[in-house]
Amino acid sequence: MTTPVLANRSDPTSSAPVGDSPPSPRSALRGTQSGASLMTRSESVVWLLGGALVICLAMIVGLLSLIVWQGLVTFWPRPVVLIRLADGQAVMGEVVREETAEARTETPPHDVQAQPARRLLLRVGNYELTQEHYRWVSDAQTDGQPAERPAWAVVFERMAWGRFYGFPKAFLIGDDTIAQTPAAVWAAFQKYHSQVRRQWRQRRRLEHDEAGEVNRLMEQARLRLKKFELEHGKDSPQWKAAHAEFETIQEALERRFARIRHDIETIDRWNSRYQLRVETADGRETTLLLKDIVRAYPANRLSWLDRWKIYGARWWEFVSAEPREANTEGGVFPAIWGTVVMTLLMTTAVVPFGVLAALYLREYAKPGLAVSAVRIAVNNLAGVPSIVFGVFGLGFFCYIIGASIDELLFAEKLPSPTFGTGGLLWASLTLALLTLPVVIVATEEALAAVPRSMREGSLGCGATQWQTIRRIVLPKAMPGILTGMILAMARGAGEVAPLMLVGAVKLAPELPVDRVFPYVHLQRSFMHLAFHIYDLGFQSPNSEAAKPMVFTTTLLLIAIIAALNLSAIAIRNRLQRKYEPGHF
Amino acid sequence: MGIAERLWLVPLGFVFVWAQAAAGQVSLVDPKLPSYTPVQGVSGSLKSVGSDTMNNEMALWAEGFQRFYPNVKIEIEGKGSSTAPPALIAGTAQFGPMSRSMKQAERNAFERRFGYQPTALRTSIDMLAVYVHKDNPIRGLTLAQLDAIFSKTRKAGHPVDMRTWGQLELTGPWSGRPISLYGRNSASGTYGYFKEHVLLGGDYKDEVKEQPGSSAVVQACATDRFAIGYSGIGYKTADVRVVPLAVEEGEPFVEAVPENAYSGEYPLARFLYLNVNYKPGSSLDPLRREFIRYIFSRQGQRDVAKAGYYPVPAAIAREELRKVGIEPEF
Repeated sequence: MTTPVLANRSDPTSSAPVGDSPPSPRSALRGTQSGASLMTRSESVVWLLGGALVICLAMIVGLLSLIVWQGLVTFWPRPVVLIRLADGQAVMGEVVREETAEARTETPPHDVQAQPARRLLLRVGNYELTQEHYRWVSDAQTDGQPAERPAWAVVFERMAWGRFYGFPKAFLIGDDTIAQTPAAVWAAFQKYHSQVRRQWRQRRRLEHDEAGEVNRLMEQARLRLKKFELEHGKDSPQWKAAHAEFETIQEALERRFARIRHDIETIDRWNSRYQLRVETADGRETTLLLKDIVRAYPANRLSWLDRWKIYGARWWEFVSAEPREANTEGGVFPAIWGTVVMTLLMTTAVVPFGVLAALYLREYAKPGLAVSAVRIAVNNLAGVPSIVFGVFGLGFFCYIIGASIDELLFAEKLPSPTFGTGGLLWASLTLALLTLPVVIVATEEALAAVPRSMREGSLGCGATQWQTIRRIVLPKAMPGILTGMILAMARGAGEVAPLMLVGAVKLAPELPVDRVFPYVHLQRSFMHLAFHIYDLGFQSPNSEAAKPMVFTTTLLLIAIIAALNLSAIAIRNRLQRKYEPGHF
Repeated sequence: MGIAERLWLVPLGFVFVWAQAAAGQVSLVDPKLPSYTPVQGVSGSLKSVGSDTMNNEMALWAEGFQRFYPNVKIEIEGKGSSTAPPALIAGTAQFGPMSRSMKQAERNAFERRFGYQPTALRTSIDMLAVYVHKDNPIRGLTLAQLDAIFSKTRKAGHPVDMRTWGQLELTGPWSGRPISLYGRNSASGTYGYFKEHVLLGGDYKDEVKEQPGSSAVVQACATDRFAIGYSGIGYKTADVRVVPLAVEEGEPFVEAVPENAYSGEYPLARFLYLNVNYKPGSSLDPLRREFIRYIFSRQGQRDVAKAGYYPVPAAIAREELRKVGIEPEF
């Protein structure tokens, strides 16, 4: 039985552009053009509609180009300038911004001077020496001396403490000084840096994979023992046997761990021999360890090709590395992973449910008060603020379902919760609820658009209703259903408010998918790009440095959502072609 | 509480800080603190829920700790100090960083659940700074003036309501401009601390624009020329100025610099706490024990400096370690 509700839904393909005029409104309007008032000619309406479209497009294009431009220029290596101040200080760094403002004397009472002065915001780095990352330098402080661009000003990007700007003085291996002129130091740096970094990566692999493995086995053994304790009680014979076993395992693991630590220390000692003596602009000397330097370049001696190389390397680091220094540096790889995995999980949860619900509503349910009420409820669900879904997810999924799962299956880990706290699974399910109305509404529309004659034909040939739905209705409606899925994905991937409650965290470098059984860890908290943007924008200690990162991260998020959508669209187009021959 | 919460660090021998600062070195970390030595058999996962002021500090500690124990998983959530006690009570977090001390009601709720009080460790020192736009020429503020700017109840006893910069004796284009107020949202410990110590328990004006994060307050002051706001010192940028404060009218203004925090002269210096669920007399599990040992090691306190706050001296570190049953080795 196809339902008569079909009739009171307007078919999207034939909706008329102007209200209630007779069959062909456009030609009728054209006919009345001469001598009619402006309003009846509908010129003004066309202008209104067109104008609205242009404003919408301009806003979208404006926003996108702002994000793209700001996002793209962030990683471009800029020249380093040295400014000598009238009081003998020297400031060196990259120019970030420039503005004109009233000049004022440096000391109180800060009298305003007659001429407004230009001032520059420099990224000066060297935080451990100066306690500042950025500094304003006004023309009033410089006595009109022009900014220099020293040839051997080198920018060091470090593992910790942010950037360092300075001049290379000497290159040391152990106690031997092997280079003392800037050019020679730079050559030595290039020669040894990749080698040291290779060792450093080796050390990280030891730390991460091997020591990590030991730690994991140790934790497993501890949990096994705890389980015996919970099942048989402490001091029972079973527990004693398990405890003896635990101690042998622990001993073996500790020996293995000691070996790994020894290897790590050897590498550390070897790596720490390579050092750079550098001098800051105001003459302070300090030592940088080669292993702590991620990247260095003499900013004022770069060719175009070098600049592009650095630019590319920075982007690569951004998308492939883990975050450092409280998320202000390094990359966003875990956040990319988290976003993609969460979105895919959400989609797999929401699409089947949404489609089944819509099928029942549209094809089986008898139209009436109940169905209308359900439909209104679904539509209203789309209007519920997303944070409400977050609160629901936290209360229902984490605290009720999750806590019960913990008590049943992970009792030995308590009091640390496994599923009883925010995590990937709960976040995906919460977002699935949030996007459910999108899928239901889109599917219903798609089902409604299947011509009634096709169903009647199928039923007339003797097919049952389920056969009709499966063979005729669903294939025809599939592109529309997939459109709903795409909309749901776009909505879900950009959502952040509910995620803050159910599992997205500032720092969770452990990926939700890895090589340890059971490979997908649904209980883990995860990082999410949208939350990362919020974190960078509002909570970063070094907000000046974080601001450009906000744009790059936004650009990346948009690119990922676009990629997800494009692949969904590609699938939809394939399906459309596949079912096209069946069209009659 | 009130005055008693002020820092009494004067007798702790901070001469070395001065000496080093004078020598052009800015390392504030007490050289008596030991370097962290890793032990074996530490693994598992840690979760911290609490202060947004301490968010970056926690992240830096986590990074540093993971350098020693790569397979320890640490998750950090920082939505405000008020989120810490419920998380500790529910057991969803092992650590509850807070930028204020726990309220009696929060303590009681914890005690009802576990039968003992939560342990608050003083991990670092923060100065609550009052920020204005970098071009703002104001020389300093007294606490009573600050109260009259932010509060509608004026419990500190300032006679008039402060609404324009002109009332603070700024001249020229500033005189007629209204003061634009920025603060934190009510889940924040900074909000609570400011309310208790500056407003003396009074109410904020309705015009205070509540910001979702510490850094958001600073950014607002950076873009709004006529703004004033309060936030942790760790969030200072080049675009804002920190206003020197005086306790009483006529006293000299105290700059927000580390020496004044340690000497106790800066009126809004406070400890940043890390709350743990520690049953007195028991011994902590290895994971939490090592994390706490890391915090009170040289590396951990260097992370404090990196986050923009001030490390605690060895004497305090020793006391705090004893609080959770760890015998300090220094």
